[in-house]
Amino acid sequence: MRRVLNRPRVVALGYLLILPAFLVILFVMIIPLATGSAFSLFDFKFGSGQGLGRFLFLKNFVRFFADATALKALQVTLLFSAGALAGELFLGILIAVLLDKISVRLAGILRAIFCVPLLVSPIIVGLIWRYMYDPTFGLVYAFFSRIGLRSFFGGLSSPAWALLCVIIADIWETTPFILLVITSGLAVIPEELYEAARIDGAGSTRIFFSIMLPMLVKVISVVLVIRGGDAFRVFDIIYALTGGGPANSTLSLSILAFKEGFVKYQMGYAMAISLITMILVVGLFGSFSRVSVRQERTR
Amino acid sequence: MKKPEVGRIAGRFSLYLVLALFLLWTLVPIYVVVSNSLKTDMDIFARPFKVLFQPTLANYQRALTVGDFGPYFRNSLVVALSSSLVSVALGVFAAYGFASFHLKGLRVFNWILVLGKSVPTITILLPFFVIMSRIHLLGSYAGPILTHTAINLPFVIWLIIGFINDIPTALEEAALIDGASKLQSFWYVLLPILAPAIGSAAILSMQLSWNELLFSLQLTNMDTYTLPVGIAKFVGAISVDWGKSSAAATVTMMPIIIVGFFIQKYLVRGMTMGAVKG
Repeated sequence: MRRVLNRPRVVALGYLLILPAFLVILFVMIIPLATGSAFSLFDFKFGSGQGLGRFLFLKNFVRFFADATALKALQVTLLFSAGALAGELFLGILIAVLLDKISVRLAGILRAIFCVPLLVSPIIVGLIWRYMYDPTFGLVYAFFSRIGLRSFFGGLSSPAWALLCVIIADIWETTPFILLVITSGLAVIPEELYEAARIDGAGSTRIFFSIMLPMLVKVISVVLVIRGGDAFRVFDIIYALTGGGPANSTLSLSILAFKEGFVKYQMGYAMAISLITMILVVGLFGSFSRVSVRQERTR
Repeated sequence: MKKPEVGRIAGRFSLYLVLALFLLWTLVPIYVVVSNSLKTDMDIFARPFKVLFQPTLANYQRALTVGDFGPYFRNSLVVALSSSLVSVALGVFAAYGFASFHLKGLRVFNWILVLGKSVPTITILLPFFVIMSRIHLLGSYAGPILTHTAINLPFVIWLIIGFINDIPTALEEAALIDGASKLQSFWYVLLPILAPAIGSAAILSMQLSWNELLFSLQLTNMDTYTLPVGIAKFVGAISVDWGKSSAAATVTMMPIIIVGFFIQKYLVRGMTMGAVKG
């Protein structure tokens, strides 16, 4: 921390400097979170002209666990997160390690190109993959026709395949993020470790499992937490590709809360769903907070 | 020694093969949308997929004149520029406050940072939508600008604090001894050094705002739709006009891709919020 000037007037100036930023966060995050939590306790139907409606206390939360659609959404969200994370980690680590083996210049150029999907708005990623999965002229169907599996592949309109299709589009978009982070993790492994291993006669596979992977554990856990939280809150890409269908097979918790709130105007229940989502994100991926606070203290 | 040599060449070959496949996997979808935007409907619907074709700008003309993409583009510019300007201005002041005045609020700020990272957009959007409708600001630019600013602020503050902490305190103290006020030393000494950091924070904020869908979707109306919202409305239609929406998508993503090439390093930092040093 920098040198302290503790005269009262100077401290007052300090608070004055953070005040505008604080007001924005108060108005856009803290107040809505508080009001929203209050909504979740009522049978609040937006636009019904009946104010907040009946006081339900925790009934909206109880309703969630008795609602088959909501439980389906929870299952879809967990499957989506697990599938997307597994695919992205595998591809991201694989490509990062391979780029580490080729010339620095070529690796730099390739890495810059590989990052392009990360910069594309998720709604456009959705649009692109809608076209890729289109049954009449999409490239994915063309590929399956070519290898003679045209009838095997169901695409976005089949409840059995839709979630996998969405996961693949998500993998396309966010693998570069994992790639970038793993690359920065690889960069800090000292060269001597590799040399020592090579002198001892270790092959590439051995080096990967005995040196790279253990050194990457911390980076991987951080990535898991950040991407896990993002995947659990997924909205855009599903909204663009399937809107939650067919037969709720791609209905994520955020999509469900959106539909309850903005299609059925059941604000109270929608708010309860979204709060449950938030609690699950914090619970499942909460270790992120510990990582970030520790970072701050060492500074 | 012939056998290991063969194995090495095979290993090298498969390494480049995997990288080439990943390059294809990355670029084919981009090529598909960009080429569709330059194709006639005939070529878009042709099977098999036409890799080579006679390019036309008709889709762009249609998107800008028949569709409302001209206004959407303008709205996106207004929202992205204002929200990044506001988040950077307020963020720099707040970061300076936190870094130089030893305020007690830093712990609270950390907590807000984590909160911002774990609250689903929809959790904020539902009540914020109700609030905005009560104070009659639904459909104005205020909704997307305020929400994008609030998402970006903690990140901008965090980024700039890091940079301020890297600047030797002696520089600022020298200015104070020479009789400059605290604010003068900030303005004339720190700000010029921070310029590159502020620039990258501005670009990252703009990128987030430019691509953001969910807040803009519900808080804007026909007159204030941003590009992602416009595209979402296109995709939602029963039969998608591929030529027109591909043109709109290309116009939306190209500026960000071009800028993104230059700010890759900051991108990692921004997205990991410092959990990993990028």
